Amino acid sequence: MDIMNTNEIEKYKLTQHYEVLRELGDCYTSVGDYGQAQRCYEKAALLGPDEPGPYVGLGVAALQTGKLDDAEIAFRVACRLDAKCAKAHAGLAMVAQQRRDYPRSFDLYMKSLELDSDNITALLGLFQVSCEMGSFAKVIYYLQVYLDMHPGDVSVMFALSALYLKDGQTEQARDMLRNLLALEPGNQDAVNLLEEVEHTMAGVGQA
Amino acid sequence: MEHPLGVTTGQLRPNGAASQGPLVSVLLPTYNRRRYLPAALASALTQTHRELEIFVIRDGGQEVADVVGSFRDPRVVLIDRKDNRGKPYSLNEALRRAQGQYVAYLDDDDAWYPHHVETLVRTLETQTDCQAAYSDLYRVYCEIQPDGERLVRSKYVEISRDFDRFLMLYFNHVLHVSLMHRRDLLDKTGPYTENLNILIDWDITRRMAFFSDFHHVLTITGEFYCPLNQSDRISDVRRRDSEDYLRNILTIRTNLPPKPWPKVDELSIIVAMDRLDQNVGQMLMRLWRHTFYPYRLYIPLPPADLSRLNIAMPNVVLVPVEPQSSVEERVDVAMLQAEGKYVAVVPSGTQPHDLWVEDPVHALIQNGTNREAFLIVGKDGTRGGIVVRRSDLLRARRAFTHLSVEASLTASGIRVRPPREEELPFQFDEALRYGKLAETDGDWDAAARMFERTGQRYRNELWMKTMAARAHFEAGNRERAGRLSREVNRVRPTIDTLLLEAKVCRWERDFPGAIRLLNRAAQGLAGCMDPEAHRWETGVRCEQTLGGV
Repeated sequence: MDIMNTNEIEKYKLTQHYEVLRELGDCYTSVGDYGQAQRCYEKAALLGPDEPGPYVGLGVAALQTGKLDDAEIAFRVACRLDAKCAKAHAGLAMVAQQRRDYPRSFDLYMKSLELDSDNITALLGLFQVSCEMGSFAKVIYYLQVYLDMHPGDVSVMFALSALYLKDGQTEQARDMLRNLLALEPGNQDAVNLLEEVEHTMAGVGQA
Repeated sequence: MEHPLGVTTGQLRPNGAASQGPLVSVLLPTYNRRRYLPAALASALTQTHRELEIFVIRDGGQEVADVVGSFRDPRVVLIDRKDNRGKPYSLNEALRRAQGQYVAYLDDDDAWYPHHVETLVRTLETQTDCQAAYSDLYRVYCEIQPDGERLVRSKYVEISRDFDRFLMLYFNHVLHVSLMHRRDLLDKTGPYTENLNILIDWDITRRMAFFSDFHHVLTITGEFYCPLNQSDRISDVRRRDSEDYLRNILTIRTNLPPKPWPKVDELSIIVAMDRLDQNVGQMLMRLWRHTFYPYRLYIPLPPADLSRLNIAMPNVVLVPVEPQSSVEERVDVAMLQAEGKYVAVVPSGTQPHDLWVEDPVHALIQNGTNREAFLIVGKDGTRGGIVVRRSDLLRARRAFTHLSVEASLTASGIRVRPPREEELPFQFDEALRYGKLAETDGDWDAAARMFERTGQRYRNELWMKTMAARAHFEAGNRERAGRLSREVNRVRPTIDTLLLEAKVCRWERDFPGAIRLLNRAAQGLAGCMDPEAHRWETGVRCEQTLGGV
């Protein structure tokens, strides 16, 4: 039998056993097998009791199966383990969104984006909630920041175009959609939205 | 016959066919590890190669007769000794009774996979130029429960080092639990050294390297355990005693087996001095401490000076010379007694440091038959002597006795120069060190490049590919990481590389592929070998796979 030194213990604090279970949970979630995902995350949580990851996974699995209370508990545990866990905040925001508590959801998405401006789930969630609430300025800012970091992300380009249109910034909306279609000419949603933008601009011009 | 651990015992193969193949002696010394001994013994008894004699040597401590008896297998022989006399004594005790053509070793807290013995026997039967072979093992990180149960957390093949004789002379790179050798190899090396209390395995593998190459089998055939929260390993405690550790190392390095040595050429070190000064003792101590290449030391001095020398060093030959003789004449007298193929002529003021003489010796070995000699270069760049083939030196001295050693070599057409960078030993280790430094600095791209290049230039290709794959993944080069981990997994999948390939699959959105790989990794962690790679089920406990939860 052998023993590792302190540095090695640090290196192996998160073990393969934990990692395999968490990865399996993520994969099962991706293929929609939430029961398997939940079982994997529960075991991973036992092996890494200080890690927020498995609790975020449990929250997502619960959310996907409509168990909002379970999801909220799991995301809260993840937040308690790591107050800076952007995914946990985004999860809580999604729970609030599903409960139609848009102001709370908006705040939680904002908190998530403050922690990680790269979090695409929070970004698109914020976009949806903003549409429901009719307030766009903050979302536009975050989407612009995101696109600066990830130029060419067509889903965000589309969302930003829609927000520009709703906010009356039609020229920006048109330019963004043209850029999007240069990247993805077959994007029918973008083609339709561009038609709407151009129609709006023509109407304004006629008026 | 069924054992509670699920071990089928007896002399016949599972399908009832008659026993075949050479007899293998398995040596399993045990001391105060009753808790783990049954699993270790069960792993030996479930070997697919059935022709075994298994010596369980109780080296004092807890009684184990009931544990051994519970297996009711005639292949197991218990040497039941109450007093604790150490591992080397135990191994020698069993070896005196061993009848096998081959010898294999198992520790009382480790485990072999069922194909371990078969794999190594097949290798030794086909690679007949090698009298020793070794495989790879998982180092298993586990948590020890209060009742002693080991909960497996990670399994890594941390070292998968191809045999390197020069390295073996310096330090061990073959785990004893993974080693099998011909029984008659020990007739050449001699028995285990019983006054050693650590590095016992290196002592014997080092001596084996004088007589044979070792074949490295790139198959994982067992596991050794490493607790995350405690250690009961005796050698860990002893290693903390640096004086004792050094004593063991120096004993091993100076422990020369009987000649002839077909695989190692001895170095004769001749200390060239005109008088016995007070610094000689210090120089000799440094030489003892810093020299690992097998050598014999020749000290040519007048009898009066020799009688004043009080040397406890082994492998020293005192050469009486005329009191009025010159330094060159003294070297010439010593050279006539020197047996080594290589000779180092060293002035008494030399300050040996690590690799001081091994650098030029390695250059000379690499150098083939070119007529060259190599300078010993001090840490500050000063000259500290010359290493040369004995035959070249003899010829030069006979032709030019009146010249200095270096001048006589030059005069006889032998080029004297310092070794070049690429001629130095441990190039692989140096490259590996740079790769690991890049990892530590977070420069994953550089680390990946270094590991790939190292594998291409210095062998150990699979090991380096594994490290490169991980570094590429960390660097964000997912495609390259995927390609390398797939290449490794096709040859020899490990938990680590399966996990890595799964992550790449997930990134490629191939979720079913990732799940399949993760389940294979989970099976490996749970105690089963990779079924797609080896297709067997372990006789030792094999838990439900994690993916099937």
